[in-house]
Amino acid sequence: MGHGNMGKVNPAVLEFETMVKDKESYVKFIEEWVKHSWRWAKENKYTTVFKIQASILRAIREYLDSQGFVEALPPIIGPVTDPGIRGAKQATIDFYGHEYKVMSSAILYKQYMAAVLGKVYFVSPNIRLEPNDSVFTGRHLVEFFQVDLEILNGTLDDAMKVAEGLFTYVAKYIKDVHGKDLEKMGRSLPDYKPPFLRYTHAEAVELVNMLGCRNPQNTEILWECEKVLSAYHDTPIFIYQYPKGSRGFYNREDPGKPGYLRDFDMLYPEGFGEAISGGEREYEPVKVIARIRESGEDPNKYRWLLEMLKDFYPLKTAGFGIGVERFTRFICGLRAVWEARPYPKVAGIGPAP
Amino acid sequence: MLEWVALKIGELALRLKASLITLRGIRDFIDDYPIDEILLKAIKGEEGVYPFGELASYGAAMLGAPINRRGYPRFLTIDDLILVPPAFTPRRLEKMAELLREPVFTDVNLEDDVGGLKSSMPLVVASMGSTDIASRYSIAIAKAAAKEGIPFGIGENVHTVRGYDRRLTRGHPSFKERVMAYLTNMDKYGGVFIQQNVEDAYDEHWNKVYSDKDLEPYIDEGRVAFEIKIGQGAKPGLGGVIKMRREDAVKVREKYHFLEDPLKTDRKTVERYSAPGTYTADILRGMIRLMRTSYPRVKIWVKVGPFRDVLDVIKVAYEEGANAVIIDGKEGGTGMAPSIAMKELGYPTIVGLIKIREARLMGIDDRMSLMIAGRLFNGAHIAKSRALGASAVYAGRPFVVAAMVKGEAGVRNLIRATRVETQMIVSALGKYNIRDVSQEDVASLNKDLATALGIPYVYSREF
Repeated sequence: MGHGNMGKVNPAVLEFETMVKDKESYVKFIEEWVKHSWRWAKENKYTTVFKIQASILRAIREYLDSQGFVEALPPIIGPVTDPGIRGAKQATIDFYGHEYKVMSSAILYKQYMAAVLGKVYFVSPNIRLEPNDSVFTGRHLVEFFQVDLEILNGTLDDAMKVAEGLFTYVAKYIKDVHGKDLEKMGRSLPDYKPPFLRYTHAEAVELVNMLGCRNPQNTEILWECEKVLSAYHDTPIFIYQYPKGSRGFYNREDPGKPGYLRDFDMLYPEGFGEAISGGEREYEPVKVIARIRESGEDPNKYRWLLEMLKDFYPLKTAGFGIGVERFTRFICGLRAVWEARPYPKVAGIGPAP
Repeated sequence: MLEWVALKIGELALRLKASLITLRGIRDFIDDYPIDEILLKAIKGEEGVYPFGELASYGAAMLGAPINRRGYPRFLTIDDLILVPPAFTPRRLEKMAELLREPVFTDVNLEDDVGGLKSSMPLVVASMGSTDIASRYSIAIAKAAAKEGIPFGIGENVHTVRGYDRRLTRGHPSFKERVMAYLTNMDKYGGVFIQQNVEDAYDEHWNKVYSDKDLEPYIDEGRVAFEIKIGQGAKPGLGGVIKMRREDAVKVREKYHFLEDPLKTDRKTVERYSAPGTYTADILRGMIRLMRTSYPRVKIWVKVGPFRDVLDVIKVAYEEGANAVIIDGKEGGTGMAPSIAMKELGYPTIVGLIKIREARLMGIDDRMSLMIAGRLFNGAHIAKSRALGASAVYAGRPFVVAAMVKGEAGVRNLIRATRVETQMIVSALGKYNIRDVSQEDVASLNKDLATALGIPYVYSREF
């Protein structure tokens, strides 16, 4: 189990890589793709993709409901949203004279609803005005959905187990229901058997460096290196214990290992890269305030969260988010997330439907 | 009757005095700042390195080293150090072998990497902010700095107060105008560094910059840095202050602290205070990591005031891979600072240089630039700073003064004159690359400074 042959990258990912080599013609292609999306959306391949996507969501709901989670309505706007997103801007709207943000993720509200309901999930729309170079990753959309879940009194391990269970259930469900469709698309999925391999961030960095991708210690795994790591495996893997500072302020520092976080990512195999991001949440108000300062911000901006953390003290939760388009891309073996969604919004390209 | 006249005269004298006091800011500046020297360079360019006026020019002047100084300074400055050229100059011989002729000062190479940006000389235009004066001359300074190939900073609050691309205030360029005035005039040297304070963070300043299509080619080229500001020389530990019109204040009342609620006051202007920003070693570490993750293609600079724990800041910055730390000494310029802060808070620039020297001896190598700021403005300051471990001099006011007197041309003149001055000094030291200037080239007129810096005291046998 685990290690496949080095560099076993899915052909769709390879095709994408070939496409982006010539940046100019790729940008031309993607502009056409985005601006006239209705032209390809009607093709057989994509009607199948959208049907599989619906099944993925159905399977996710079935699994989470069976595990005692309650689906709640996600927020759309609020005075603050998730700042822990690599270099992406937030969308601002005028809310009767106050500046409100469109949710870049519902993270702060998950903690709120976990306090209310215990185990909770959202199927949540997010907006992230990603940097322009994200056009070339194949993994970033400006408008996307994620299934965002949170467990009251949950731990890092609880969250990782739900992630494994969820992924395995959905993959099997799609194989059962859409076996023929997958075959037609030339996609084959093995039977996945959890538990999946777990690397600490330091181990993962060591591994990618060994695999020839230079990644500095103490920073996020670079996109390029993440792909190498993902391609090195034929089942999903976990990376946990990220160094502090590489993540949003809400990720909890490990009291037993200062400087490291109780958080994790799950990567898809075959070069598809990041699937899930999650972890335990910081709940000590003073620590949250110090962490907010790392992003150079005034904690006053997050006043409601800080007040809530005091009211519900100690609000210990853990959870994760899984992007629906990325999941669809992986299951269907697509070149990029812009194939996994009607009317895709891609950084810097517009106007388009 | 006589008493009445005396009283009236007294009153008049007091009133006159009172009206002069209101001119104090500018008078103190003119009295205390080396304005003559900068003006001369701004007007005359390279010729300004000679102390010639219209009457006493070449051949007609009698010159010699001055021994008196105006007033008596309260603390030591970089002028308490001198440069000590040698008679025997093996490096000049090397240069001669390379050139096959006697080298001259114009052969001195001043270009160097400054905080990850390539600079034509070790001089940087400090990040100046949104105050009227900094804002008014910013375009002229930007263009001049770009054309002369030295890095240029844009301070905090410009985005929030003057607008990101659309102008928020009449007569003042927006952030985008400033940054593009620099970038579009730049050739092979130079780069821009950009601050973001707590309030700009509210507007996601760096995020906006990082995904701005007009800036992207420059970011790709590695010509952009982000500067974290942890205080400044003139008011270490205090945040910025600016006067705002009430109607503007109402718009941003959720982002700033006002002494008086702009909604309730009937005054036309209100003072807006920005927070100094809270840091701990952990916060700074986290911030740099977060920036390296979020903005992998920009350089990271950290500007710090004259704080007693500045070595800890340098250590954290170095460990986390920042590209530069700037120490701004207490003489550093500002648009607005309480008098008591300028007088009493923080240590003089020369102490910042001692800290830099200590940091270098501690093992902070040239992977990270260390810059010094605070009343530094000429070629000697650059050479002395370099000799003691600093990578460059970081200056603001000289450029504003030059722009006030002669616009963009004045700033270019000043930079060129400073370049020639630096080249002359380096060549006098028998060296032809700024990188070769080292501690052997300086000595101290003051015993304490000599000890602190580990350099010879001039009036002693060890020298």
